[in-house]
Amino acid sequence: MGNATRTDIREQIQHEARVAGMRRLARPSIEAVERRRLQLWAITITVIAAMAAATVIASIAHANTVEFFRPSTLRYAIIGLAFGFSAYAIEKEVHLHRLSRLLMDERVLSSALSNRLQQHAELTSAGRAVNSILDLHEVLDVILSSALELLRVETGSVMLIEGEDDEADLIAVAARGDNDVVLGSRVGLGESIAGRVANSREPLLLAGKVDDELYPGHQERIMAPHSAMCVPLVNRGQLLGVLNVSSFGERSFDEHDLQLLCLLAEQVAAAITNARLYEAERVHVAQLLELDRTKTQFVASVSHELRTPLTSIRGALSASRRAITVDQRDELLDVIDRQTLRLAAMVEEMLTAARLERQGTMPILRRIDLAALVRLVALDSQVAGRPVEVQAPKRCEIRADPESMRRIVGNLIENAHKYGVAPVRVTVEPAGDKVLLSVLDKGAGVAAAEREKIFERFYRAERTATSRPGIGLGLPIVRGLVEAAGGSVWVEDAPSGGAAFRVALKVRPIDEQEVEPCTASLRS
Amino acid sequence: MHGKPKVLIVDDEPDVLLTMRLILEAEGFDPALAADGETALRRIDDEQPDIVLLDIMMPVLDGWFVLAELAGRPRRPYVIVCSAKSGEVDKTRAFDLGADEYVTKPYEPDDLVRIIRDTLSRGARRPARL
Repeated sequence: MGNATRTDIREQIQHEARVAGMRRLARPSIEAVERRRLQLWAITITVIAAMAAATVIASIAHANTVEFFRPSTLRYAIIGLAFGFSAYAIEKEVHLHRLSRLLMDERVLSSALSNRLQQHAELTSAGRAVNSILDLHEVLDVILSSALELLRVETGSVMLIEGEDDEADLIAVAARGDNDVVLGSRVGLGESIAGRVANSREPLLLAGKVDDELYPGHQERIMAPHSAMCVPLVNRGQLLGVLNVSSFGERSFDEHDLQLLCLLAEQVAAAITNARLYEAERVHVAQLLELDRTKTQFVASVSHELRTPLTSIRGALSASRRAITVDQRDELLDVIDRQTLRLAAMVEEMLTAARLERQGTMPILRRIDLAALVRLVALDSQVAGRPVEVQAPKRCEIRADPESMRRIVGNLIENAHKYGVAPVRVTVEPAGDKVLLSVLDKGAGVAAAEREKIFERFYRAERTATSRPGIGLGLPIVRGLVEAAGGSVWVEDAPSGGAAFRVALKVRPIDEQEVEPCTASLRS
Repeated sequence: MHGKPKVLIVDDEPDVLLTMRLILEAEGFDPALAADGETALRRIDDEQPDIVLLDIMMPVLDGWFVLAELAGRPRRPYVIVCSAKSGEVDKTRAFDLGADEYVTKPYEPDDLVRIIRDTLSRGARRPARL
């Protein structure tokens, strides 16, 4: 539209210049037109003055001249000529005046267009700068610098949305200037100016004092800005936050400034989204690297754990070829038997962990007496050289998968012996619709920082990783089985020192009504 | 070297101790046992074995500690590290700490016996070590 108007004006200028007798100049300047006007008026005044003088002279001149040169005739002729010349001068003046105005218009338009071009260049370079960085903090810094530079002001802030849906707030994450929003300040959606812009997603231009009724929650600043703008940051339909700029000086923002800020806001929103995606990707990569590290550690510890029984088996086979007595041979056969069982248990452990990793494995629920089961597992443990003290009611019926429960109790007892210090105690305590199973030891306990990690697959606490056998799957298996049964497992400090591994199980999982509650008579 | 060569087997795995003791006895060695680093250092001091078969991952004091401790001694037995750790980093670390051989578990006992003999005969040519 600007170009069409400009061409139109140029044509009119050429036309007026032609009519005004300035066709020799390809592009007449305002100054040239003014000079021509001055010349025109000087000539006109001179001519009229000369004619007036001639008329006077003609009147004074002798009367007896020929009819044609009679003073009255001459006078009329001179007056007529003067009128004619005046008419010519006026006509030229009209065109020159029009030409002068057209030239002025063209000059204003050119200047406005060059301003716009300048702003466009600044906007493009700001957009490029904002999108060339991936670190969110740097992006926010460049955003503010670009916006303030573009609008020639010194105060502004970026507020981003944090939290979900109803809980969402706008938080000031970048701010410049002394009189604007304080970094870290919080505004609810719909509150104050920023909250309202975020809600409506409509840019806002403000001048002078803010009407508190119009913007509930607005806090009047010590020094109110002379003019301010607030635009929403939206990328692909998703609201990210708002961009504020304020002018405390003489500068008043207009619609054009608002439009400019909106254009910048579009690029800014894209840059913020990119920076966030990059950040998420970076975190994801870090997680993958960590997973890779723990898996490598796992493979190392598994291979170590598999190599150890294999060494014994090969040693036993080799020794049996050299054995002299029957007793020696029997002893070596026992070694092979023990170590193959150990290998089998390890393989089983890995398979169970892999099975638990697959979602949707439903345990087979049966009515079982947890107290009896715990006593049985404790007996097995005792036989294997790991004594356990049991404190449980006579009967405690729950609906659970017996094989899973045996494994849970067994793994926890083994864990207590491996990483804790004897005596190991197992307690079963009914509590309302739940049963609390605890395995307590007298060791050093588990450091707070490791209480969650020890239940993660492949994780082995640093201090135990090199000195204790195991592949680090015992506790993850416990957690997997407990959660599959709808319960929860955690570790805390035992009241009498050491670690307390607690398992809370529901007496009646998933709509089981016919189960009798636990008989609550504890037996030491 | 007089009589049977003394071999100290250091491993926290009882079955490894048991089988290696039987094998080494049958092969004409005089085996002694230690299930952790602390016992190993004590038995080295008391019995002065000719050679030590040293596991790395052990409770109380691990094999690295034993190696480091022996490295500072003017008179020390030969050390064959027998470990399930198979990384190059571990092997380099062991040799840096003065190990004479590195055998990765699971090893073939016959091979280990051969390595013990080789190391001892090599030692006969280098009397400075004992």
